[in-house]
Amino acid sequence: MRKTWTIAELTVRDVLRRRGVIVLMLLLPTAFYLLRHNDSPGQSVRLLCLGLSWGVSTAGLFVAASARAVEPRLRLSGYATAQLYLGRLCALWTLGFALLVPFAVVVRFDHPWMRPAGIVLAMAFCVLIGAPLGLLIGGLLPRELEGMLLLLIVCALQMMVNPDDLLMEMLPLWSSREIGIWAVDEPDDLGYLLRGVAAGVAWTIALVGLVGGVSAVRLRRRAHVRAL
Amino acid sequence: MQDWFDVFRSALLRRGVPHATVRQVVEEARAHTGDSGEPPLSAFGGPEAYADAVVASLTPTDPGRTRAPRGDVLLRARGITKRFGRRTVLRDVALDVHAGEVLAIVGANGCGKSTLLKICAGMVSPDSGTVEIAGRVGYCPQDGGTIEFLTADEHFQLVGAGRGLGRADAREHGRTWAGRLDWADPGATQARHLSGGTRQKLNLTMSALSEPDVLLLDEPYQGFDRGTYLNFWDLVWAWRDRGRAVVVVTHLLAELDKVDTVLTLGESR
Amino acid sequence: MDPDRRSQWLRGVLDLCVLGLLADGESYGYELAQALTRAGLGPIQGGTLYPVLLRLERTGLVATDWRAGEAGPARKYYRLTPAGEQTLRAAASDWRGFAGQVGTVLETAVK
Repeated sequence: MRKTWTIAELTVRDVLRRRGVIVLMLLLPTAFYLLRHNDSPGQSVRLLCLGLSWGVSTAGLFVAASARAVEPRLRLSGYATAQLYLGRLCALWTLGFALLVPFAVVVRFDHPWMRPAGIVLAMAFCVLIGAPLGLLIGGLLPRELEGMLLLLIVCALQMMVNPDDLLMEMLPLWSSREIGIWAVDEPDDLGYLLRGVAAGVAWTIALVGLVGGVSAVRLRRRAHVRAL
Repeated sequence: MQDWFDVFRSALLRRGVPHATVRQVVEEARAHTGDSGEPPLSAFGGPEAYADAVVASLTPTDPGRTRAPRGDVLLRARGITKRFGRRTVLRDVALDVHAGEVLAIVGANGCGKSTLLKICAGMVSPDSGTVEIAGRVGYCPQDGGTIEFLTADEHFQLVGAGRGLGRADAREHGRTWAGRLDWADPGATQARHLSGGTRQKLNLTMSALSEPDVLLLDEPYQGFDRGTYLNFWDLVWAWRDRGRAVVVVTHLLAELDKVDTVLTLGESR
Repeated sequence: MDPDRRSQWLRGVLDLCVLGLLADGESYGYELAQALTRAGLGPIQGGTLYPVLLRLERTGLVATDWRAGEAGPARKYYRLTPAGEQTLRAAASDWRGFAGQVGTVLETAVK
């Protein structure tokens, strides 16, 4: 437990010292939120969620990149693979939830008629999903720039795909969108909420599993090494 | 002119005196000169000689450096072959390193020295061959291996936690090892602001901190000045004398008198 | 007295003298140096005294702790441990015997 905690603590410090990433994490949701603020409140909240998720993913990308060089050494010096990636995930989730609070407060006062629980839940899934998504992309693509591009594609798809398209349902943040619809547009249709939560939980579990899988493969004990 | 106390402090650190003890001994000496008004040079003599006296009274009377006899094999590699595309960089390489032995891997650029080390560390898979290791492995890369935005102390904390050390203990151990490499003040500087040589000291300190049985060092002295370079070899010998197995990748042939065994890799094999 | 001989003798018994002074209560380095001077054994250089103190600490004959002085810097205070008291008692009687034997030999020669 102490090892996981150490990783989490130092990851938080690492991220907090990157001013660029912090600015990006704050700026993305803010800009997205203001974009449609006046003409379409529902849309602006959806975009805010997207920006939040993108910010957390970006932080995850940088965390994964900086971990890449040291993780093999840390494995050698006594860490288990799970301690390494779970520690980083906890750090990103903590940061993401800390980021969520001010935005949730703003929306609460900006649009008091929206369901606050729904807004928070939609944002929470953005954080829950965004963190492992960033770590996963960072784990698969060695260079930050490539990861950034891939993240951009995911985010752009999320924004531009026609809501009725089947593809929309397969994107990671569909859950947040569904919960958002329940919170903003269709307060009486619980179906949106349930579908959203189910998809969000599934995506979170799947992504965390994938991050674990990729780490396990990258940091595996190689077959040619044996104990004497 | 450099302060007597600073010279004394780094002299103690270089001799491997734990960081906490160094702080106390220096503070006590400072308090003494403050009380007596006597300059440190006349009260204590030259800083290096006084450091020797302090070390002598701190260590049990066990004259000289006793070198453990060569022990069991701690690292054994057999039939290591590695190809990158069509180029075979390592062909059927074998090596044995015993407890209390230093092995140097030499050879021209691109002959696969670093690759062999990574294969021994289990970070890269060979196309064929096996590596057998007794105990734990420590690996020190040529560069990288540190986290840009974390301080030296945080690196110590990170590596220390791996073997169950708390924050304070890890910092103390780390600073003591750093002191042996003539790095008196690691601490609050982030890794990205360290010079190349100092970053390598951090790298080496991290390897030392995890107390491995087999140490794999990939030209870790790049950017070291002359003095630190000698301290580095002192450190290698100290590990050897404690019964560790040490492998040093190097391209400097002048170092070969410093090691016990030499493995030459070449493309003409 | 020949200073070389004097310091040679002192080197053999300085640790016992320090233990003896600490039997009167805890003290710190500079105070011990002054006490040794007052006792007619000084001046003792810091470079001689502190290594002796470190050795006594390492062998468990004295215990130490750091405390802030009244006005000055923090000081390391030394005090006897039970093992130190025991050593001091044994050494004191050994010394009496030894000094007596040396005295006997020297006085017979002078007579």
